[in-house]
Amino acid sequence: MADAPVRKGALLTVGVVAVAIAGLLLATPFSEAGPVSPRAGPASGTVSNVLTWNGANVASNGGVSSALSIDLAQQANVRYNWSAAPLTGGPVTVSDARLQMFYFGFAVATRDVTISNPMPSLGGNIVLNWTPIAVSYVLGGAYRLTASLLTPNGTTVWSENFYVKGNAPYGILAVLPILLLLIAVYEAYLLARSGRFATRSVPPSAPTTPPASPESAEEPSGAPPPPPPPPEGAT
Amino acid sequence: MSATSHGAACGVVLGIVVVIFLQQTSYLSLSDLTPAIEDLAIGAVVGGILCGLIGWLLGRSYLARHPPQGTAGP
Repeated sequence: MADAPVRKGALLTVGVVAVAIAGLLLATPFSEAGPVSPRAGPASGTVSNVLTWNGANVASNGGVSSALSIDLAQQANVRYNWSAAPLTGGPVTVSDARLQMFYFGFAVATRDVTISNPMPSLGGNIVLNWTPIAVSYVLGGAYRLTASLLTPNGTTVWSENFYVKGNAPYGILAVLPILLLLIAVYEAYLLARSGRFATRSVPPSAPTTPPASPESAEEPSGAPPPPPPPPEGAT
Repeated sequence: MSATSHGAACGVVLGIVVVIFLQQTSYLSLSDLTPAIEDLAIGAVVGGILCGLIGWLLGRSYLARHPPQGTAGP
C-alpha cells in the first residue's frame, strides 16, 4: 500500500517536532527555585520588619527547599515587628498588615489586620492570627506567602515573600491530592489498555470479496460454476 | 484513534497530574503563574512523548497477539 510510507513519514515528522519541543521546554529552568528576594515596596527603604510565624523568623524560608513546615489545620500567629528608619524617612503611618497565599499566581487566601485609627510612628507591633482550616481540607504542598504592610492610601511600605510547606493530614489526605491520585490511576489504566486501539488503526490489506457482477448476483454464493456448453456437433 | 495517539493523550493528562501532585507533596512550587505554566507544559510534553511510545509498543504487542481479520498469515 502507498499509505504505509506516508504514515511512517508523518509519524517521524511528529516525533521529531515533539522531541524538539521537549528539548526547548527542558532547556528552560525548572521553577523549583532558589531563594526569592524580598519584594520591596515603593518606600521599602524607610521601613524594616521582622516577621515571625509562631515565633520563628521567616527570613530564612525564602525557597521551596527551605520552606517553613506548618500544619494547615492549626492556628498561625504571625507577628509584624516593624520599625521606620528615622534618618531616611521619619515616622510612617501603617494602617494594614496583609498576608496572602498564592497558587498559580493568584491569591487563594488573604488575611488583613486593619488598624482603625492609624497614626504616624517610628515602629509598631501587629499580630495577625490565621487558621487556614478550610484550605487544609483542599490543598497541601508548598506555597508562596507574601506579607506586606500598607499605608492608608494603599501604598506598600514593606513586603516579604516566604514559602510554607502545608502538611495535609497523613501527607495526602486533602481533596486535591486524592483527586489527582484517582485521575493518575485511571489514566494509567487507560494507558495499559491503549494497545487495543491498534486494531482500529490497521487498514485491511486486501478486499474480502470481489465486486459482484450482475450474473453472479443472481446465483447463490456457494453454488459451483456452471459447466461449459458442449461444443457444437459433438453428438 | 490509534494506540500511539491514545497513549499520548493519556500521557499528557498523566504529565499534568504528576506536576500538580509534586506540588501537593511539596517537591515543587506552583505559586507563580509563568513558571507554573512552564512546568505543566513540560510535564504534558514529556508525558505525551513517553506514553505515546508506550502506547505504540503496546499496540505492536497487541497486534502480534491478535492479528486483525483479513490480514492473517498463511
